Amino acid sequence: MLKRSDVVKLVRVVDETREIEISCDECFERLDSYAETELSGLDARTAMPLVGDHLEKCADCRSNFEGLLIALRGT
Amino acid sequence: MRERTNEQWLAELRGPNPDGALADLYDLVVRGLGAALGGYGGGVEANFGDFAQEALIKITGNLDSFRGESRFTTWAQKIAINVALTDLKRRRWRDVSLQELFARREAADRGPADAQLTPERLALQSTVLQELRRIIDEGLTDRQREAVVAVLLEGMPISEVARRMGTNQNALYKLLHDARKKLKKRMEDTGFSLQEVLAAFEEG
Ligand SMILES: [Zn+2]
Repeated sequence: MLKRSDVVKLVRVVDETREIEISCDECFERLDSYAETELSGLDARTAMPLVGDHLEKCADCRSNFEGLLIALRGT
Repeated sequence: MRERTNEQWLAELRGPNPDGALADLYDLVVRGLGAALGGYGGGVEANFGDFAQEALIKITGNLDSFRGESRFTTWAQKIAINVALTDLKRRRWRDVSLQELFARREAADRGPADAQLTPERLALQSTVLQELRRIIDEGLTDRQREAVVAVLLEGMPISEVARRMGTNQNALYKLLHDARKKLKKRMEDTGFSLQEVLAAFEEG
């Protein structure tokens, strides 16, 4: 089932795995604060590292975050 | 739109005359969707009204869960964006079943290895591949394996895979996290290093 072309992708993802990661619900819970921190020019990733880490790993939550940033900038 | 503090938003929406606040919130959310999804294409603008309505129902039904850690309007827009993206993902992936996805992978797996590779590198790749397959087979449950393939290798949204597996996004993320931790542990036990694997598989 694992293809040659999958190997690098999988090994990278596994390598970046942390013992403690927050779930999608926990990320969503804090996403509004995170977005405001980012928009205020502060480093949100440093302020809320677990959220930043989740956003890096989870494309679903990342698209929520990116969409929210654009919505906030545009309104 | 009239400026309101978080307390004013909550008081109005909970009060006897929420219509003004609801109308302002609706306008705001539609504008936010327009900004975020304006370039999405496919006539998605036609759905902004429905998305906003659905979001407003969620917002007014969950006022108690607003913790006041951001502006109320930011919280509201977060919910609206999530409603819209969840729906759009569902449509984009509507015709894809997990069985098909897996079958397509198997069918695409018959290509020969790169003829440019040296015999040493080919042998190293085969060893790594064999080890990784063993680790996946022995270390993961069937559900973990399915999720790893669909989400991590095929790039399907977690929410869409979750629906097909009869669970939700949050639970599937946790299942994947457990799977990644198991794989990491087993890879470390095997003595694999990231650098070795990258050296064996990456171009150049
Ligand atoms: Zn997530």
